[in-house]
Amino acid sequence: MKSAPFEHHEPTTVDEAVSLLESLDGPTILSGGQSLVPMLRFRLANPDVVVDINGIDSLDYLHEEDGYLRIGALARHADVEDSSLIDETYGSFADVAPLVADPQVRNRGTVVGSVAQADPKGDWGSILLAHDGEVIARGPDGERTIPADEFFLLPYDTTLDDTELITEVRVPTPAPREGSAYHKLKRKTGDYAMAGVAARLVLDDDDVIETARLGMTAVDITNARATDAEAHLEGERPSSELFEEAGGLAAEESNPESDEHGDAGYKERMVDVLAQRALGDAAERAGLVKRRVSQ
Amino acid sequence: MSSDHENAPEADTEYQHAEDDGPQPEKHCGHGRGGMGEEVSRKEDKRFITGRGNYVDDIKKPDMLHCEIVRSPHAHARVKDIDGSRAEAMDDVVAVLTAEDLLEHDLATMPTLMDDTQDVLVNEKVKFQSQEVAAVIATDRYTAKDGAEKVEVDYEVLDPVVDAQDALDAEAPLIRDELDDQEDNHIFDWETGDKDATEAVFDAADVTIEEDMNYQRLHPAPIETCGAVADWDPGMDKMTVHMTSQAPHAHRTLFSQVSGIPEHKVRIVSPDVGGGFGNKVPIYPGYVVAAAASFVLEQPVKWVEERSENIQSTGFARDYDMTGELAATEDGVIEGVKVDVLANHGAYNAAAQPTKFPAGFFNIFTGSYDIEAAYGSLTAAFTNTAPGGVAYRCSFRVTEAVYLIERLVNVLADELDVDPAEIRRRNFIPSDAFPYESATGWNYDSGDYEKALDKALEMADYEHYREEQQRRIENDADKLLGIGISSFTEIVGAGPGEQCDIAGIEMFDSADIRVNPTGNAVLRIGVQTQGQGHETTFAQIVAEELGMDVDNISVEHGDTDTEPYGLGTYGSRSTPVAGAATAVAARKVRDKAKSIAANELEAAEEDIEWDRESGEFHVAGAPDRSITITEIAAGAYMNHPGGEEPGLEATNYYDPPEMTYPFGSYIVVVEVDRETGEVDFEKFVAVDDCGNRINPMIIEGQIHGGLAQGIATAMLEEVTYDDNGNVTGGDFMNYLLPTANEIPNFDTGHTVTPSPHHPIGAKGVGESPTVGSPPAIVNAVVDAMNHAGVSHVEMPMTPDVVWAALDDAGLAHKPAQNVEFEFDGASGSADD
Ligand SMILES: Cc1cc2nc3c(=O)[nH]c(=O)nc-3n(C[C@H](O)[C@H](O)[C@H](O)COP(=O)(O)OP(=O)(O)OC[C@H]3O[C@@H](n4cnc5c(N)ncnc54)[C@H](O)[C@@H]3O)c2cc1C
Repeated sequence: MKSAPFEHHEPTTVDEAVSLLESLDGPTILSGGQSLVPMLRFRLANPDVVVDINGIDSLDYLHEEDGYLRIGALARHADVEDSSLIDETYGSFADVAPLVADPQVRNRGTVVGSVAQADPKGDWGSILLAHDGEVIARGPDGERTIPADEFFLLPYDTTLDDTELITEVRVPTPAPREGSAYHKLKRKTGDYAMAGVAARLVLDDDDVIETARLGMTAVDITNARATDAEAHLEGERPSSELFEEAGGLAAEESNPESDEHGDAGYKERMVDVLAQRALGDAAERAGLVKRRVSQ
Repeated sequence: MSSDHENAPEADTEYQHAEDDGPQPEKHCGHGRGGMGEEVSRKEDKRFITGRGNYVDDIKKPDMLHCEIVRSPHAHARVKDIDGSRAEAMDDVVAVLTAEDLLEHDLATMPTLMDDTQDVLVNEKVKFQSQEVAAVIATDRYTAKDGAEKVEVDYEVLDPVVDAQDALDAEAPLIRDELDDQEDNHIFDWETGDKDATEAVFDAADVTIEEDMNYQRLHPAPIETCGAVADWDPGMDKMTVHMTSQAPHAHRTLFSQVSGIPEHKVRIVSPDVGGGFGNKVPIYPGYVVAAAASFVLEQPVKWVEERSENIQSTGFARDYDMTGELAATEDGVIEGVKVDVLANHGAYNAAAQPTKFPAGFFNIFTGSYDIEAAYGSLTAAFTNTAPGGVAYRCSFRVTEAVYLIERLVNVLADELDVDPAEIRRRNFIPSDAFPYESATGWNYDSGDYEKALDKALEMADYEHYREEQQRRIENDADKLLGIGISSFTEIVGAGPGEQCDIAGIEMFDSADIRVNPTGNAVLRIGVQTQGQGHETTFAQIVAEELGMDVDNISVEHGDTDTEPYGLGTYGSRSTPVAGAATAVAARKVRDKAKSIAANELEAAEEDIEWDRESGEFHVAGAPDRSITITEIAAGAYMNHPGGEEPGLEATNYYDPPEMTYPFGSYIVVVEVDRETGEVDFEKFVAVDDCGNRINPMIIEGQIHGGLAQGIATAMLEEVTYDDNGNVTGGDFMNYLLPTANEIPNFDTGHTVTPSPHHPIGAKGVGESPTVGSPPAIVNAVVDAMNHAGVSHVEMPMTPDVVWAALDDAGLAHKPAQNVEFEFDGASGSADD
């Protein structure tokens, strides 16, 4: 890696980091480096000043507290993958963690860095959207909570301010009859998604869908929700037909572009397929029994 | 292709072991000393595994400078001005070099291995994106890169042409306008076989089939990129270049020709090389620039490519657009084959292959089949893309030929509704027909194709999968099953020198064995390993032929100051050529050892016999009166027979009488997901025949690696360009290499059909799996959809490509159809 020269700062507390962000000229935050370092290597990013947050031990956590699953800024993808908290209850987390990049990248890259990167092909944004997640940011004026829905603006662009540091992303702990799942289509290990869909369903006592969320990867300018499909699901009982209709709606709502991952028509169709698969798994994890009826 | 060769040694048949997979006969045939057939652990692995390898980028010299190359962002552009002043003004930048500086030293251009002339640094016009435009030399590599960013180049952007067909259009921009006699982008036309006879066969045939297929542009992508450390020594007037070279001697000759430095004052060292696959056969501008800079600055200069520079500017592979046709009887007996190819050679003709064969060994498109008439025609074109064409374990275009014929045979089988295994059986060259001359005039040494196929069918449980395939079609299952076969024949081991040369140098190879007074030996060879395991395999040949322990033989390669001249390692030629040289040299040593044995044992030389089993020499009829090679070695130096030279050594330069023709049958079973187009491997059987096997474990490793590359070819890899000539597949985020997750388990097997003309009956094997597997994989995927009329799917078969074929054939599925949910309690179940 032959980057352009830059100044390297290593704060050990959040306060120190925030004051560096405020006082330095055009600082760039470095966490796992799995997006930033490739950009430095290609000289697509040429920051003069880098604030490396890897020394802020207080940001290295992944736990449940006060009704939230909280993921600190230094929790790596691999920490999620290996965590005993992450099982069927957090189905979409359990699905996504081993599907992000490859083991080497997962050992360094962070969930928060991934959200901050706001790559529409990134997987975590869809999970956050499907779980009504929040982004916690610290800046010179203190702490701010940004709903995931309001966070992503454009590819690589968010509502975060240059002087702000994300300390945490969090999602509410799952309801008793909740299930979630993530399905990702990729060409090989380490490849970004051709398309991905996160689904979350909350059922009431009559097995009726109370809340439905669908977050989509790589098929729009940001990670995006499929709100028409969600509305269609809510108030209904899960069935193949319902999920087929929801898959179709999600596909219509998606806006993929043709590229080396396939043409737009194919990607729309895959949104349909992946949404149906993810909804099926989510329903199962919410407590229903799923059966294949032929073959 | 055949030639009479007087000095071709007879194959030594003494250790032609059992012809099946049993480990037993193999383990024993090396006599426990690590000779032929033993699974000796690789001698080179200790240093690789413990991180003690010595690659070009590990080499550091005092006062060493670093070189960074400024590359063109455009594919086709005139360079109007280069301003290096901002870079030169930087503290640690030592020099900025452009074509103008090189012209002063007559180093502005270099010959390609196909006799074209390539700019070292662009003189007037850029011809492909990432072409070398200027070089910055600095005291460290970071500054060199910073400096490169400050070099300002003023380009006049021209229209590029990327596609070979477009390039041949009369209106297309002329790429090579610096060449006097070049009026268009056409490079050459080539023909092989008998056109009239082939047309006649096609006219009279019961059935003909035709298929268009593209063999996409690939890159060998060795883990180590290319690089060099050039060190001009003004005291010795000597240029030493450590470089990533698959052919150090040939590169020395070329370096000398380009630079004017006499050849004995040029030393090329190819240290540990992290994979070549043909990518490190050509000469690249970076090597020349490093050498020129060292010469001018009188300091060592290091140049090491970045990954994307490697993919975007160095020798690519394939890029053949092919149309193939077969003519057959209604019983499926193939009578004729026709092929027409459009080859994209990039901006320079730099394909690095034997001069006499502009299309390499593509001639082998008749494959494993006894075909009466064949005709092939090929046109090559310049385009605004990086030069290359021959690389990536392909034996000079055999890969494309094998893909073509193995696909066509399947298309014919589909047309006639004959099982693809059966149609191959009906057309194989019979095992008693060897040596066999093909319709394109090539002389196959030996083969038993049916045996390899039968073995593969058995290992694959072929009938079971055929039944399962049918069952799934009938049940309209979500996952279709496809079974693909490829029964390929390769042609490897160039020379003979009469027919094969690289830049005029005949493609022989060499070995030099020196036995020391204490009984161990050093073998020096003209080929060079980039991972193939030469240091082990070649030592085993010597161990076998001299009765020595393999641990007592070290193998040296890659240094032109000490090794005998050789043509290098590529095209699976090391064992066929340098392996033969090693066996012949060892036998010369053995002959001399006999006379020393006679002296030591006080017997007549005629009475001395060598016993392969014990590895000892003894007096005929008196096995007790014996002597080992260790004792003989001592005798050669301490008690040498009067009238003879002291010492115990021999050299052989081996010009092979023929090439060798390894073959095999691969069977691949895949599952195709009708919802997404994803392909999963269910079973992968590879039966190879490379003649006598020196180290089965190393062969197995070569097969595994090559199959992985075959899978990569069929499923993932492609160097893509946009219409402006921008490389869009130029890094590992976009040029997709498989990981272990993408590679299934392999069931490997083998048969043994020795080469009759090779001294140890061996054939090359390094490329077989890469050559043989892509058609098996494509055949399998097509086979899954063939019942609905799919006859071809282009590589790489990414999910979207496969899904499009499913969709066209009406086979695509949606998921919901087959799932039901059960609800508990009051609310009842979904069925009510
Ligand atoms: C080969 C490869 C494959 C990959 N595949 C995938 C994939 O399949 N799916 C996927 O989702 N991702 C993938 N990624 C990206 C990976 O997930 C990265 O880890 C992630 O995008 C960035 O996290 P990081 O911690 O490495 O952040 P960094 O690279 O350190 O930073 C990324 C960006 O976020 C900013 N940033 C980082 N932390 C903070 C913070 N706390 N507050 C504010 N801004 C911050 C940085 O300034 C920078 O702009 C892949 C990466 C590679 C190299």
